[in-house]
Amino acid sequence: MNFEDHKEFPVDSASLKGVRSYTREVLSQDPVFKSTTDDVVLAVAEAAQNIVKHAYSGEPTGDTMRVEISFKEGQLKIELFDKGKPAIPKNIKPRQLDDVKPGGLGTFFIGQIMDEVIFKTAASDWVNRLILIKNY
Amino acid sequence: MSYKITEEGNVATVHLDGEIDMDVTEKAKEVIMPLIEAGKEVHLNLKEVQYMDSSGISVLIESHQKAAELGTKVILKEISKSVLKVIMMAKLEQILIIE
Repeated sequence: MNFEDHKEFPVDSASLKGVRSYTREVLSQDPVFKSTTDDVVLAVAEAAQNIVKHAYSGEPTGDTMRVEISFKEGQLKIELFDKGKPAIPKNIKPRQLDDVKPGGLGTFFIGQIMDEVIFKTAASDWVNRLILIKNY
Repeated sequence: MSYKITEEGNVATVHLDGEIDMDVTEKAKEVIMPLIEAGKEVHLNLKEVQYMDSSGISVLIESHQKAAELGTKVILKEISKSVLKVIMMAKLEQILIIE
């Protein structure tokens, strides 16, 4: 079953629950995602959290972030767009796990769960575009 | 997220309920940290926590480290399956105290 869906959310930590619910709802369309839904929901929520925390430094904003989810030929592609500070891909690194301290785990989780993580400069009205891919 | 605290002697048990993400981490810290700072041994019961992200994991790490610094401990109890999966993904099962 191929599909495409998208939704925008206010850039706010209060939106993270909505991002999770939306992702879960979209993935429920096809039983192929059943065993990995919790993981993918976590990855998308971590990516959305990074937008709130890093692209906007946790500052209040009226901006929205956009989540696009598509599935085609066995490939789940989730894209997140935001208008925050431009991300510098070489600076986005998961922390070393043996360096136990609060923070820095979100990017690690995303990398563990998804098959590909691609940062791009967004076209049109957006600034950052994060592409998460998982193959089924 | 909601919570309930029970105290018996020097042990404070915090029953957390719901989803623990960035939106509620400050609230979680406000509940847990004063107990640690008061020198209590804190038991965090996570049976009813259905979801925890990296922000929630950070609260667990911070609580664990603060307790160690003050000579007490935070023990994680009855961890739900979904939370345990995230703790193990972060390879923290050997670092945090789990019973």
